Formats: sequence, structure tokens, C-alpha cells
Amino acid sequence: MSPLTKEDKLLTKRKSLMTSFLSMVRLKMKDRRIIFIVKRLFHSVFVLWGLSVLIFVMSRIAPGDPARMALGTRAPEEVVERLRIAMHYNEPIYTQYFYWFKSVLRGNFGVSLVTQHPVLEDISQVFPATLELAIFAFIFMIVIGITIGVLSARYNNTWVDNLGRLASYFGIVTPPFVFATIGMLIFCYLLNVLPAMGRLSPGMIYPPKITSLITIDALIQGNFKVFIDALKHLILPAVSLGLLGMAEEARITRASVYNNMKKDYIAAAESYGIPVRAIMFRDLLKPSLIAVISILGLEFGALIANAFLVELIFNWPGFARYGMNAMLQKDLNAISGVVLILGIIFVFSNIIVDLIVDFLDPRIHLIKERNE
Amino acid sequence: MLNRKVKILAISLCLMGILVSLTGLCVASSIVRYSSDWPPSIDPAVGSEVESTTAQVNLFDPLIFPDTEGNFLPHVAKSWDVSSDGLAYTFYLRPGVKFHNGSELTAEDVKCSMDRLLTIGEGVAYLWLGNIKETEVIDKYTVAFNMEKPFGPFISTLPSFFIVNKGLIMENIKPGIYGEMGDYGKEYVSTNDVGSGPYMIKDFRRAEYLLMEKNPDYFLDISSAPDEFQMIGSTEPVLIKTLMAKQELEMTNRWLSPETLESLAKIEGVEIARWRSNSEDYITMNIRKPPLDDIHVRRALAWAFDYDVAVKLVPGSVQARGPVPLTVPGSDSNGFQYYRNLERAKLELKQSKYYGHFDEYPMVCQWNDSPSQEKDAMLLMANAAEIGLTVNVVETTWSLICSDSASIETTPHFHIVGDEARYPEAGALLQARYHSVTAGTWENTEWLLDPVFDEMIEDAFATIDKEERFAKYREASRYIVDLCPSIFLLETPECRAYQAAYMDWPAAKGEVIQGFKYDNCIRFIKLNP
Repeated sequence: MSPLTKEDKLLTKRKSLMTSFLSMVRLKMKDRRIIFIVKRLFHSVFVLWGLSVLIFVMSRIAPGDPARMALGTRAPEEVVERLRIAMHYNEPIYTQYFYWFKSVLRGNFGVSLVTQHPVLEDISQVFPATLELAIFAFIFMIVIGITIGVLSARYNNTWVDNLGRLASYFGIVTPPFVFATIGMLIFCYLLNVLPAMGRLSPGMIYPPKITSLITIDALIQGNFKVFIDALKHLILPAVSLGLLGMAEEARITRASVYNNMKKDYIAAAESYGIPVRAIMFRDLLKPSLIAVISILGLEFGALIANAFLVELIFNWPGFARYGMNAMLQKDLNAISGVVLILGIIFVFSNIIVDLIVDFLDPRIHLIKERNE
Repeated sequence: MLNRKVKILAISLCLMGILVSLTGLCVASSIVRYSSDWPPSIDPAVGSEVESTTAQVNLFDPLIFPDTEGNFLPHVAKSWDVSSDGLAYTFYLRPGVKFHNGSELTAEDVKCSMDRLLTIGEGVAYLWLGNIKETEVIDKYTVAFNMEKPFGPFISTLPSFFIVNKGLIMENIKPGIYGEMGDYGKEYVSTNDVGSGPYMIKDFRRAEYLLMEKNPDYFLDISSAPDEFQMIGSTEPVLIKTLMAKQELEMTNRWLSPETLESLAKIEGVEIARWRSNSEDYITMNIRKPPLDDIHVRRALAWAFDYDVAVKLVPGSVQARGPVPLTVPGSDSNGFQYYRNLERAKLELKQSKYYGHFDEYPMVCQWNDSPSQEKDAMLLMANAAEIGLTVNVVETTWSLICSDSASIETTPHFHIVGDEARYPEAGALLQARYHSVTAGTWENTEWLLDPVFDEMIEDAFATIDKEERFAKYREASRYIVDLCPSIFLLETPECRAYQAAYMDWPAAKGEVIQGFKYDNCIRFIKLNP
């Protein structure tokens, strides 16, 4: 073995310097991410507090006596007054807020005036149904939306692209309840291949709760009969709910992939003879998805918030329907609980999306920091 | 290559599995499924609207049971006595009636049920608040209601009183607003079975459905009744139509539009059951607001309204004759009835103190709830314009109607409302609609506040003799027609779609128990194989 030359030694030294520099950068990136999360969580506290004030004030100043609404028009005034006192409705709004906020901090949203049950207990019963629906709608939205978008961009200005664009226009102009209605008529009424309502068919027994998501619980327990039945119940509501988001994702993906396809590095890759499929999945998809993922956080929150009509049509026992009923019946505690939980979902899904985007393209974050 | 074939085979198997699983759903052999507004309150001390009562008549038992002729039959009470002064009603209970948890129904349970109802004060408690002084347990199977004052309709109201299981209530009391009784078991009863009725709760998914199964130990023979009853929380027309077509829904509730009913009637085997109910639609007039404080303006509107068009808008309805539908015992079948006559309307207006200044008094008509109410409101606007009155139509929400009704100032000039007699006596509706005690609620937005009328109703209620009491109701009805605080629109029918091909439903054949929603008592239904 020949001894190391001076040049070799210099090269080795440079390499080790480079390695330590890179590890420092990586560490800095990791620290930066932690600081980012802490910062965002800190901001979120203020956002949620602001939301709590807003929703509390709005629900209280809306016309209608909640105690009277809860007890009915024929309840004697002394009974109604008793409820007003118990719920602090007779006190100034800031005092009411203080009592309410104090109990919310303890995880107590109060008792629903309609169901007579603690709001949190009610929400814990209905939220999994909507979460499961939103997750399936989300999966449908991402998988189908991105596939259509990529195919449209890849086969730009061909019949594939035209078909993809037509599908996305169709998704954008069709409100979920219209698709739900037509879908129900076709698949449940005419073809009779899908169930029309609920989460499980009559006679099916709900699997013991682990996650409260029936499909997951059934799979964990190996109950495939219930899994298939729950899946069948999910298909139409999830597709109806995810259709709009799917169309938006398809359009954004198409535009983003198409723009990136014109970049020099793609041309260079093609000139090296790398197969198109490899370029698409290895070099093109990751940077193109940043724009798509940026709006996914909002989309997921919107799926939960907008599920009301779909839940109504399919008699889906969900969170959005619970929230809407609470608003119609001026169930103040339930309204506040629903809106706050929706706020938390929006805030956290956006933080997660920011982290994913940061992971996909750290430059975005660096630009933000430089601007700050 | 082999790998690819294996993949194709695996995918094909998965697809076949899904296809196989798509065929056929397991359906209970004997079940009645009913689409209802949601959520119902199964607690008899809380819920009193149609869907709550539908659940309650199947889960609980009353002391006495109404029949289709307007009589009251022994049920949990095998007999009863009324004291000569009308101040004490004694009920002798049937021994051996069991609650769903197996404990026996006794006089203590009856007392607890009434005490709880009056303390909570919600639901139907208003029927007895101020009338019952105390409920007294005489022995295990004898209970007496001692009255504050004679209350003639007491027996007529009792089918709305359901007996709850005292033992379960007392075991499940949580902190609440009712003093030492805490929440009086409200949270527990909202989802748990404390009844003794022909059906008991099998599965209650609060946001989805209420499934009941037949009570095997029921004290009456219900062997031919359906095994299960499910209340499904949806009134969505598309879903209802789909379920009806697939025979996964046996009967609908009453809130479907005429268009939906028409399309349901086209489904093979489905028919529409229609019967005259105890309901009436009104256009209420706030008689404390100008120009409606002038009786001539009110009468002019009553003459100008086109009742024939309104009747055509609601199939099966008839023009109302006074404030109480003729289906309700004690109503006035010979009362005066307005008809459309623009000349008379204009003559009335000329007598008004506001004549020549009507443009200074634009009026507002609020509606909520159903398309037919909107049409009535538009009709009123058009008819009023024909005689020179301005009416603006405004759609509103139920909560706003309730809050606006609380004061004279916030109550609009007109409301379109439907109301029904809670028990089969004209006094039920007369009191709810016009007595001062209900002023400020959505049911009474006329603000009559008339001591003479109040006295007439209280006098009728204090009359024990039925015929004499009914005569007093008729007199009170005529008094109201004369004051014209409302436009008496329509006696509205109850219209429900049902599976006539395999369901034998007495109410659909005209055997209707009026006033308590006992037409939804599932034990009377027979399902043909």
C-alpha cells in the first residue's frame, strides 16, 4: 500500500470538513424545525383563544333565549330561570365567558341543552364517524386527484388530458350533495349495489371500540365481514365528499407538473436517456407536489366542516350534522365545542402540512426566514 | 412473468370477494322502520313533540289508553274513580305489570313519574302544572291525584302521562338544577330504558337511529306485533325514496312535501295514508300592532283571503271553520266561516280608523318550516294588495320565531303557524292559542290578553260534566271567531307513506287514535310475510 500523498491528505481533510459542515447544517435544520413547531404551537394558542372569544360572543349575541329554546315554550318561567342561573346566562357576557373558558381548560365543554349529555361525550360519539368519512374522502381526493393531474400533464393536449380536465371540471361544478343524490339514485336505488345510509347494515354488530373507526377496528380484530360492510357504506359518502377536493388537486397537480416538466433539469435527465417514468416519479413528482400539499391541510379541515349535507343525505351519524343541529337549536355549549374542535383540526393540519412542505423543499422555509 | 400472473390472480380474487359481499344484506324478518325527525327525546318528562312521543308510546305505558272513538280504556290502571267535587282521581293499578328491567310497576312509580314531570316542568308538564296539588300513594296498587281545583279534561290528558321506573331513576341521579333531586335522572333517561311498554331499547345510536325490540314479558298479548321497531333519523326525501323502493323503510313521518309523497306513491306497493288530524294552520295577527289593532282591518283580511287556493296547495286539507278543527271533540261545527269576498273586505276597511292611511302601515308576515307556509304567506301578500294593504313576506328561523314571540313589540304582524290539540278536547287548542297564560310563546302571537276569554276557558276547564264543558268550548270558539285575531286557514291532514303491500296498519284504514300519536303505536301493526 503506497503512502498517502500530500494531495490525498488534503482531500481527506476537505472531505472530513465537508462531512462535519453537513452534519452541522443537518443539526441546524433539525433545531430549526423544533423551533418552528414551538413557534407555530405558541401562535396556535392565540389563534384558538381568539376563536373561542369570537364564537362565544357570536353565539351569545345571536337572537333567541337558549334556556327557553332548550326547555320548550311551555316550560314555566321559574324552570327556565333556574336553567339561566345554572348556565350563568343572566350574568354579563365576560363573566359567562370566564366560567365557560375555565371549564373548557379543564376539558369540560358543558352539557348539551338538546341531548342532555356532556358535549365532549357527544362529540366523542359522533366525531369518529366524520373522521373516518373524511379520511376516506381524503384518500380518494389525493390518490385520484394526483393521478389524474399527473396523467393530464404527462399526456398534455391528448385525449387523456382532455378527459382528465373534463373530470376535474365536473368535480368542481358539482356540489357534493348533488353527486350524493345522483349517486344514491344510481348505486342504491337503480343498481342496488351499495347501501343507502348509516355506517353499518342492520344486523351487523359494531366491533368493540379501539379507534372508533369501524373499518380499522374491524381489520384489527380480523372481522372482514364488518370491514367490507363498513367499506361499502363509506364508498358513496366519501366519494361525494371528496369529489370537489379531488378536482382541485387534479388541476393543481397538472399545472405544477406541467410547469416543472419545462425545467432544464428535466430536459437534462431526458437527454441522458433516463426513462420518462423514472423522471416522473423520481425527479418531477416531489417538487410538483409542494403546491398540492400546501392546500391539503385546509382541504382536510374543510372536509370535516363541509360534511353536513353528505351526512344528512346518507344519514351519517357525524360531527358536522351534530354541529348543524346544535346551531339550528341554539345549543350554545355544543356550538362552542364543535367550532373549537374544528379550529384545532384546522390549526394542527396546517402545522403538519407546513412540516411536510418543509421536508420536501427546505428552501421555502429559508426564504421565509430571510424575509422575516 | 409468474409474479405478474400471481398479482393478476390476487387482484381478481379480491374483486370477486368484493362482488360477492355486495350481494344481499341481512334484514330482520319482522321489523317496522320509520323515518323521523331527529333527535327524539325518549324521556317522557322532556320530549313532547311528534317524534319524541312516537318513541314514548312504544317504550312506556300510560295509566289509561285512548281508543278510536275518543273513549279511554283501562291499561296499567284497571279502573278509576273521580270524587264528586272533581278534586281527587283514584287509580287502581293492575298487579304484575313489569318494567323492562324486571321490577314491578307500582303506585310509587306513578307518583315518582308525576312528581318528576312537574318538577322538571318541560314537555307535557304544562297540562298538569297548577292543576295537580299532589300525587298520593294509597297502597302498592292504588294511587290518587289530588287536584288544586277541578280540572274537567284531566282524564282526557292522561294518555300523555307515561310511567317511569322509580328505582332506576333514583339510582342514576347526577348533580343538577333540581335541588336534592340533582338532575332527576335526566341524563340517564335520555339514552336508557326506564319503561314498561310493548317495546324496549335494543340499540340507541343517538346520532343515527333508535332500535327497539318486542318486550317478551309485556302484560298484553302482542304476539302478532312486529319483532322490532326502528326510528331512523332522517327525513331526507332522496334517502326516504331509496329506502322505500328497496323495502328498507316501512313508514314515513308526517313532514314530507306533497311532491315527495306523490313520487313515493308511484313506488310499487307503497300507498299514502291520509286522515284528518287535530291540526290546523293559521295566519296569526298581532292585534296590538297597528293597523291590526283595528278589528275592521282584521276582518277585511279574513274576507280577502283566497281559501280555495290555499286548500288546493295542501292535498287532503279543508278550509278551517273557526279556531278548532272539527275532528276535535268540543269544536264548533256550526260556527261562522269566512269566504273570499273582496267587496265585503273593502267595506270593512272603510270602517277602519286607518282608512286612507294604510300606506303608512306596511306589515310583515313571517313564515318558517314548510313550502306550503311560504305559499300561504305569498297568497296573503297578494290578497292584501288587492284591497290596498301592504304585506312584506319574510322567511325566518324557528329560534327567531320563538324569540320574537316573547314581546308585543318584536312579534311581527303575521305569522303562519300550524298547531294541534294535545289532547282530544277543543279546550286544549283554545287555551294554547289564545289564553293569556301562553301569550309570548310561538303558539300565541295574537296577544289577545282578553280576561273575558280567559275566564271562559277557565270556567270550561273547571266543569266536570263533559257535555257541559264542550258547550262552553263552543261558546269560547264563537267568541274568538267574532274577535277575528287569526285567519283560520286549513284543517290539515296527516299524510304518510307506508308499505301497503305487506303492512297492515290500522291508522291507514281510518282507525285513528286522535291526539296522542298512538297511531305510531307499533304493537297494532301486522306485517304480512
